[in-house]
Order: sequence, then structure tokens, then C-alpha cells
Amino acid sequence: MDISFQHLDDESLIRQIQEGRHEAFEELVDRHSKRFYSTAYRLLFNKNDAEDIVQQGFMKLWERRLFWNQYKGAKFTTWFYRVVVNLCLDHNRKKKPMPLCENMELADEQDGQEILLDEKRKQALMDRFIKELPERQQLALTLCFYEGLSNQEAAEIIGIKLKALQSLIMRAKTTLKEKLNHHF
Amino acid sequence: MTMDSTRQFKENILLYGVDLYQWPEEIRRAGIEALQKSSELQALLAEYEQFERVLKTRKYEEPSDHLAHRIVSLSLCQDKKSPFSLGWFLSRLFSDELYLPKPALIVFSILTIMALLTGFFIGFSNPSGQVLTGQRQTNLQEFLYYEGDVL
Repeated sequence: MDISFQHLDDESLIRQIQEGRHEAFEELVDRHSKRFYSTAYRLLFNKNDAEDIVQQGFMKLWERRLFWNQYKGAKFTTWFYRVVVNLCLDHNRKKKPMPLCENMELADEQDGQEILLDEKRKQALMDRFIKELPERQQLALTLCFYEGLSNQEAAEIIGIKLKALQSLIMRAKTTLKEKLNHHF
Repeated sequence: MTMDSTRQFKENILLYGVDLYQWPEEIRRAGIEALQKSSELQALLAEYEQFERVLKTRKYEEPSDHLAHRIVSLSLCQDKKSPFSLGWFLSRLFSDELYLPKPALIVFSILTIMALLTGFFIGFSNPSGQVLTGQRQTNLQEFLYYEGDVL
């Protein structure tokens, strides 16, 4: 039986994967690896780490395919976002915090002065401000602003109520705006 | 424009972004109408458009071209390395299917310990040597008048 996997939705692909069809797994990886890499990159700030986490997530899915039971009817992407996000958070907790580079410290010391920041320094500063946000605010910002998910879906992924998610987004953006206004 | 509606408009920008056409349907029209009428809201929107532009300049590196291929190849290798076995099945069963979240595990452990303690308490408060008088007499009668085979 020849099945065109491209036309199947994610949940049907999972059922095919459970039957041991490796082509269905290939299709799922092709379809979603970039999307989940993007989320992982936003949370880990590092290309290699993000690729490793996405690989780890998909490998778990393949190895444990027989045990995937549609987790209470959740969409595959919502469930897999949860997998990737948890792997990223574990990774960040295990990793020692990186010391701030000198340029960044300098920018803080020259508080209030007009500094011409080049693009790289601006990006480094922004990364730093985002890293300084509490973990859940970072998550909310990543999922809703950078990944463009709806507030409801992001709330499901993080495992909190919609109101709580909205409060996280507002606090994250307000803090970032204040810091960016101060430095840029 | 009242302070309240300005605050609400700002909250909606933070929650749903500066593109009002992406706002949820139930607040979209009211938002667009309010924006058309108020220069204060227009200034607010411009300020947040600038903020989102800055946020979007955040550094991003594309994944390697071969990321998907690497994952697929690795899964094929994995299959060759680890054929299905009972040990593999049981370890997966306990790590995935019968997995208990931390709070549930703690509650389960506490309940088990309490059940054990209750068992010990009952056992020690009524040890097997301590038999009621009535029970002892019955046992004696059973012994004296036992009609079965004598070993």
C-alpha cells in the first residue's frame, strides 16, 4: 500500500509511525524540525544546543513511539512543544550561567550616556535582557511573540491558565521595553 | 479618550501585538475604531511598533541544512542497534507509561509509609502471644477433644 505521507495530518503520521513506518517519521521531522529548532534556539541562545535538543526530542518520539497515546487528545505540535520546552529548561538549569562580557558591563556603567551601539552589541544586550527575565516570562514571550502561537496554545504548552499567561506576556514586554528604552 | 480605554488598548497591544488585524475578532473592530478617532492611541501604537521592530532584530541563526537528515539517519541507526527486548519494553513501560509526576510520587510514598506504620502498630499492640482467655479455652478444647488422626 503506497501512502503519500505529505497529505496526512500530524496525528495520522504518528499512527503510521507507531506501525513502524519510518517514512512517516521522516515526514514529521521534515515538517517540524525547523519550527521546533526556532523555539529551542530562542530559549537556549545557541545553534548547536538547539539542534541537539530538537534531535533529542525527535529521537525520544521515535524510540518511545509505541507509548504515545495522543496524550488526552492533545495536538501533536502542542505536545511536542512541551517536550522541547522541557528539554530546553532542563538544559538551561544544568548549564552554568555565562559571565557577562565586558562590553555589556560597560553599557551599564555608562548609564544615561549616548552610546552608539553597533548591531551585534544591540543583539547581545537584547539577549541579555531576555535572559534576565524569569523563566516563565521568557517562555511566554518566545511562544507568543517569536513563534506566533496564540495565547491559548502557549498557555496549554506551559501548563497554566490563559489569564496567567497573559500576565506573563505583559510583564515580560513591559520590562523589556523599559530596559530597551533605557539603553537604545 | 479615557484613561481606562487607553490602558485597555495598551494591554491589547502587549497581548496581541501591534497589528490590529491579528487581534481576536471580538475586540478587533472596537480597537480599529478607537484608533481612528484618537491621536493619543495612534502615538501609542507607533511607540509599540518601534518596540516590536527592535525585539524582532534579535539575533537568530538558521539551523544546519542537514538537521532533519541527521535526525532521520540517527533514528535508523538506533533501530539497528537496539532490537526489541523484554528488558527494553519493561524499562520503557516504567519510565513512560507508569510514570508518576513528582507530587503524586510523594503522596504515594507517604501513604505507603503510613500503611506500613499502621500495620506495625497493630502488630505490636496485639502480638501473636497475647491471646484472649475465651480464645485460649477454645484452643484448649480443640486440642483436648480433637478427633482427627494422631500423628
